[in-house]
Amino acid sequence: MNDIIIDYIKQQLLSGQVDIDLSPEEDLLGSGLIDSLGMIQLLAFIEEKFEVKVPPQDMTIENFMTVEAIGNYLERLKTA
Amino acid sequence: MDFSWPENYTQYRAEVIAFAKETLNDDLVERDQAGLFSRQLWQKCADFGILGLAAPKQYGGKEEEVDLLFSMLAMEGFGYGCKDNGLSLGLNAQMWTVQIPIAHFGSDAQKEKYLTAFTSGQWIAAHALTEPNAGSDIFSMETLAEKTEGGYVLNGKKHLITLAPEADVALVFANINPKLGKWGVTAFLVDKGTPGFTALPTDSKMGLRTVPIGAFEFKDCFIPTENRLGGEGAGFSILNYSLEYDRCCILASQLGAMERQLEETIAFVKERQQFGQSIGKFQSVSNRIADMKLRLETSRLLLYKVAWLKRNGKSALMEAALLKLQLSESFVASSMDAIRSRGGIGFLTATEVERDMRDAVGGVLYAGTSDIQRSIIARLLGL
Repeated sequence: MNDIIIDYIKQQLLSGQVDIDLSPEEDLLGSGLIDSLGMIQLLAFIEEKFEVKVPPQDMTIENFMTVEAIGNYLERLKTA
Repeated sequence: MDFSWPENYTQYRAEVIAFAKETLNDDLVERDQAGLFSRQLWQKCADFGILGLAAPKQYGGKEEEVDLLFSMLAMEGFGYGCKDNGLSLGLNAQMWTVQIPIAHFGSDAQKEKYLTAFTSGQWIAAHALTEPNAGSDIFSMETLAEKTEGGYVLNGKKHLITLAPEADVALVFANINPKLGKWGVTAFLVDKGTPGFTALPTDSKMGLRTVPIGAFEFKDCFIPTENRLGGEGAGFSILNYSLEYDRCCILASQLGAMERQLEETIAFVKERQQFGQSIGKFQSVSNRIADMKLRLETSRLLLYKVAWLKRNGKSALMEAALLKLQLSESFVASSMDAIRSRGGIGFLTATEVERDMRDAVGGVLYAGTSDIQRSIIARLLGL
């Protein structure tokens, strides 16, 4: 799951910068890697790719700060 | 694919049109020239149930839960029947950028206190987001909310706020920690009369003059925790949630206005005789009418698609940007064509044609400028 998200971020949100070093622990928000439009794009991708619906109130820094956090959140969402 | 509407939807649209035509168009030239907002007309809209289109039935809403397609079609009818584009903007602004966020993110106490007062017309609400140094780059906002015992202290300024001078309540966005950027943006419900909260005088403007637009100032304004809407940092999510509702329904009323404008222009060019025939027979005129029709129908398709996507819980990021760009720019272009089709009298205030042109310009600026919509579209195309 983490690899799929990282690949999407590199290919779609970072204009195909596949060489960039992006770890699951990278702070997506503080580093400025993803802006507000990028975050909405990422949300739409996650919902479609993993067939989940992210409730608006779950769109928080705790759930979306890193790829790892996103992955953990999606695991919780799927088992809820 | 089915483009038909359920009968109860079209029936209610017809009722809204009849109400708007009969009730909301008197003295409009004078009110527009004087820049007068009518709280009486606002109340009539509330009594009819317009504001209830954006709230659950439990809090004065029309339906058990908000049905976006039903509401969109009703507001399209509102824009068709009501020539007062300013009133239409004000109602839509409250409904989709204040009521809808409270309906989704609010506590039961907030819903009971605020939604009931909004849908009944007792209170008017403003959505306070834009700042002098944070327009399109909204998440760089400078209004701060410093956490303190029992609540937050707000300091900052908001401007270009629809309904600000009339507002009994403001939904205010402020950052609790600028280091967090957009994730620090938090929403607060600020009641009129709260110490440190000031509404500044109305800004005069080119169009949409019947709805006041002004500014708010916050100076050491204490807001209790129970007035925070959603959690700390939920502002980004709240804005994202209401954005597509807002674009859909504000633009639905503009679409209705474009349909009215087209019908009135067709009637005029058929009636007006020059060189022994109706001017609609001249291709220079009829081509303009054809262009107006094309703009109307392409805008309609985009609007209905966005509403359908949102109703089905799907993302409409690209479609909403296309819609906002297409419909608002089309209203400007068609308003110009409506004036040209009438010749010199289209330039006169009394014919009520030039007002649509002035009002339409606002649409390419508010809720995301056309420049920003093009930027979003390009980004989503991978550029």
